[in-house]
Formats: sequence, C-alpha cells, structure tokens
Amino acid sequence: MNIFWISVGLGISTAAILALSAVAFTLEYAVSRVVNLAHGEVLTIGAYTAYVAETTFHQNIYICALLATIMGAVTGMGLNFFLIERFRKQKVISTLIATLGASLILQNSLLIAFGGASVSYGFDQGNLLHVGPFLWTTLTIKVIIAAVLVAVLIYFLLQRTRLGKALRAVSQNRELAQVSGIPARSVVMRTWAVSGAISGFAGFLYGETIGTITPGIGNGFLLLSITAAVGGGLGRAYATLGGAIVLGLVMAIAGTYTSSAYQLVIAFAFLSVMLLVKPNGVFVRGRAQKVRA
Amino acid sequence: MLQYWTAILTEASIFSVLALGVDMIWGWAGDFDLSAYAYFALGIYITMILTIGKPRSPVTYVLGWHIPYLLAVPLAVIVVVAFAAIIGSIALRSLREVYFSITTLGAVWAIYYFVENYTPLFNGYNGLSGLNDPMGGNLSYRTYHFFFFGFCLIVLVLVYLLVMRLSKSPFGRMVRAVRDDEKAAAVFGRNIFWTKYRTYLFGASLAGLGGGLFAAYIGAFNPLDWKPTEIFVLYAAILVGGRGNPKGVVLGSFIVYVGFVEMTRYIPSPASRPELGPALRQILIGLLIILMLRFRPSGLIPEQLGTDKSKTEGV
Repeated sequence: MNIFWISVGLGISTAAILALSAVAFTLEYAVSRVVNLAHGEVLTIGAYTAYVAETTFHQNIYICALLATIMGAVTGMGLNFFLIERFRKQKVISTLIATLGASLILQNSLLIAFGGASVSYGFDQGNLLHVGPFLWTTLTIKVIIAAVLVAVLIYFLLQRTRLGKALRAVSQNRELAQVSGIPARSVVMRTWAVSGAISGFAGFLYGETIGTITPGIGNGFLLLSITAAVGGGLGRAYATLGGAIVLGLVMAIAGTYTSSAYQLVIAFAFLSVMLLVKPNGVFVRGRAQKVRA
Repeated sequence: MLQYWTAILTEASIFSVLALGVDMIWGWAGDFDLSAYAYFALGIYITMILTIGKPRSPVTYVLGWHIPYLLAVPLAVIVVVAFAAIIGSIALRSLREVYFSITTLGAVWAIYYFVENYTPLFNGYNGLSGLNDPMGGNLSYRTYHFFFFGFCLIVLVLVYLLVMRLSKSPFGRMVRAVRDDEKAAAVFGRNIFWTKYRTYLFGASLAGLGGGLFAAYIGAFNPLDWKPTEIFVLYAAILVGGRGNPKGVVLGSFIVYVGFVEMTRYIPSPASRPELGPALRQILIGLLIILMLRFRPSGLIPEQLGTDKSKTEGV
C-alpha cells in the first residue's frame, strides 16, 4: 500500500507539469487549429535557457525560471510569426507537417549548440518529506505549488481578462471574431506568447524534476501532452487539464508495477482507447467537434 | 569510389521502395502516417531473426530460425502486414486528418520504446547482427555488392511497375476519389474504410519489403538506426518529387538520398563534435520540407489525375 501512495505522489508531480504543457498545447490548437508538433522543442528551449542562466550566469532559481518563461514566449511568437501564420490558408495537415519540420530544425539546432550529452541543473533537491501518505522532496513540493499557481493564473486569464474573452471568441470562429471587431491576428499572436511562456516554464520544471536535460527530452513529453490534450478534449483548456491529471496518475501507478521505461507504451494504450471510445475527449460534454469523417 | 556509389545507389533504391509505399498511404489516400518507419524496422528485424540462427548468450531474441533469405523476406512482409492491420484498424476506422497522424505518432514511439527496452524480443538497445551474406557465400565481396545492387534495382523496377499499374487502375482512382471527397465517394457506393485500409496495408507491405532488402544491406540493426524522426527524410523525398505520383516519388527519393543525404556527409564533422554533420543534415531536411510545402506543395512532377478517356459526349 505504501508504494502505491508513493507512486501516486510521483504521479501528482508529473501530472502538474504535464497539465501546464498540455494546456499550452491545447491553447495553440484553440486559436490556430494547429497540432503543434514543435511543442516539445519549446519546452526543451525553456529547460536549456534555465541551464545556461544557472551555469553560465549563476542566477538563482527564480531568475532562471523567469528567463525560461520569457524565452518560451519568444519561441512561441516566433513559431506563430514565421510558420503558423504563413500556413494559415493551407490544409490543417500541411501545417502539422510544417511544424514537424520546425521541430527537426529546433531540436538539431539545440544539438549543435549544446551537444548530445545530458546536462543537469545544480539546484538543491531539498530534504525528503513525508506529507500525508506521500513522499516528496521540498523541490517537488515547490514544483507542484508553482504548477498549481500557474494553472490558477491561466484560469483568471481565460475567464477574467479581455484577452481571455477574445481568445475564446477567436477559438470559436476566427472570421466571426474578426468582423465583430476583435483584432484576431494580434489575439492569436498573444495566445502563442502565453502558451510559449507556459511551455518554457513547464520545460524548466520538467528539467528540474527529471534531473537530466538532452535535446531530445521534448519528444516523449510532446506525446504525453498530445495524449492528455486529446484524451481530455483538444482545444478545451479545462478538459485538457483534467486529461493531464488522469494521465499523469495512470502512468505513475502503472509504471510502478511494470517499468518506467514503458511509460509511453502505457500512454499510447491510453490514447488509443480514448480515441476509439470517446474521440471528442472525456471531459467534453455532448458533440463538440468533428473528429469522425 | 565505384563501390561507394554502388552502396549509395543501393540505399536509394531500397528507400524508393519504402517511399512508394508511404506515398500510397499519404499521396493516394491522404493519410499522413507517421508509423511507417516502424513497419520498415519490423521488416528488418523479422528478416534477421528468420535468417541469422539461434541467439548466442548474452544476445536474446525470439525465433532464431535459419531459413533462406529469399524465403524470409516474404514471411517478414506477411508479419508486417498483419501488424499494420492492427494499427490501421485503430487509426483508420473513424479517425481522420490530424487525429490519424497523432495516433500513428503515438504508435511508432510506443513500438520504439518497447523494442528498445524489452530485450527478449529483438535484443533491445543493442540490436541484432549477423546477416552478412544472404546469397550463401558463392560470390566474392566485390561482385556481391554489384549483384546486390542489381537485385535491389530489379525489385524497385518490379515494385514501380506494379504501383504504376495500380495507380492507373480503377482502384487507384477510387482511392484518390475517397481522399478528395469521402462523402461523394460513399454516395457512389465506395466503402471508405475498406478502401483506405487496403491502401494502408499495401503501403505497409512495401515498407516491410524495403525493410527486408535493407536488412541484407546493412547486416546489423539496432534502435539507433530507426529513430522515428528519420521518416521525415522520406516525406521530404516525396514532397520534392511529387506527392501521389510514383514517377515523382522515385525521382525525389534519388534526389534526396543521393544529392542531399550523401553530399551533406562532406560537411566537416570534427572528432570532438560527431553530432554536427547529422544534425545539420536534419536541419536541412526540416527546411526542405517547410519550403517545399510552402512554395511548391505538388513537387517536381505533380500528380496526374485520371481523365475521362471515353469518346461519348456528355450525358
């Protein structure tokens, strides 16, 4: 029973980071109708930014996190400006292929810049703590708190600000929003900045949790983000959040009883079942969007 | 030098077979499939475990038969098709467009991590080796290379003729009709799933066949050789040549493999930074994909749609 609760505790910290990454992914889909397969690289860029800030410029952990966030936002805006907007008139699948190309370019640029060997942060992991039935380090607790705070911020952004309102309008219908006087292009751009910022921050948290960073860490995490987003409801921020929490827990618990190497295999099984049984997402009521032909 | 070019052209021929298969799935049927590299790898693995004999400790893999190479390749193709039938039935039954791609992307990474970590299957991370001379050692090393190139070229020509014939047949036109407008095709009595499914299995069989050839070409194989991201080279080749047109696909494969992949090998890669050359190559491939998609999505030789050749005037 003890090991079960420890794995649930691990699952919560994975789920917290995954939730941020998946929500960023889903926001991009919401405004641009694009499955951004370069999303994993935005996380990786965030992780490496924090690494450079820490090792080269000896900044403290909060400044590192801030820099990772800013760099993520810049990358997100760059992707939107140089790629997504150029492909707006083309088919959805062409944009998907183009983001794959971008993913190749970014990942290999990182490989050239930092080499293939893994690097790690030197931040203090803190002490082991028993919190209720869970076993966490103080760093893990900080990660979870940070993720929850960001999730709350996202909620306020979506529900209480003008940008959030405009974002929801654009995600429903870009042309209609445009003729209603919403500057759609700028809303889309700002959404990419926000989602890039969330991704950069999530990348930093991820790098800190798993301990080692390589240019390829985005691949696996991209898949998990996609699974969470599609499982919960692609393009729906809160549904995606739910999907990420369920997926994080399922993976941690299943991984404890098999092997953590099979995480992605479990995630794929989860994704297949979701797509076959409820392709619109578990946390979406009624018929939301057209998935079937 | 001659041997070097023979090797490159052999590789290009094998990848043309693979590209023809992938193009059937993407070009004809319009399904952007990302798991084709898994079928290719599976073709290689199966061919190897059928021909290299019993495993010697600490190497572990299943089967370990010792049957002739020419018998092993068709068997491998059958296994690959059976496997693609499972993935295809999940991905194609009701999912389209990006949902299809996402599912196949998940599939290929799941298979990749499983093969890499589950050593009893194909010896995991360290991979298989030992398929050195599939023709039974009757030829000298030099002549064998020329012979094998000829063999691959003959297979490519046969596959090309078959695909070309299929492309112009009623089946080829039906697949494209389903791609362009599923509803209209369904109204005219075509079974959408069955059409797409058959195309998918046919494409996967060519990927498996390419794997069977490649197994003999490289002789040893491990997960580092089939990173799922390698499939973008194939898509770059198809995009350059002309999506949906077998002629263009073969041309594109040769251009990308010979011109692009091999020439970029001469980019200096200092000993301390061995990853530099391959990384630059991948960046160029990414750029090529984006630029082709943006400025010439139909490729060098665009797809020729079937025209009505009947003499009758109107209805």
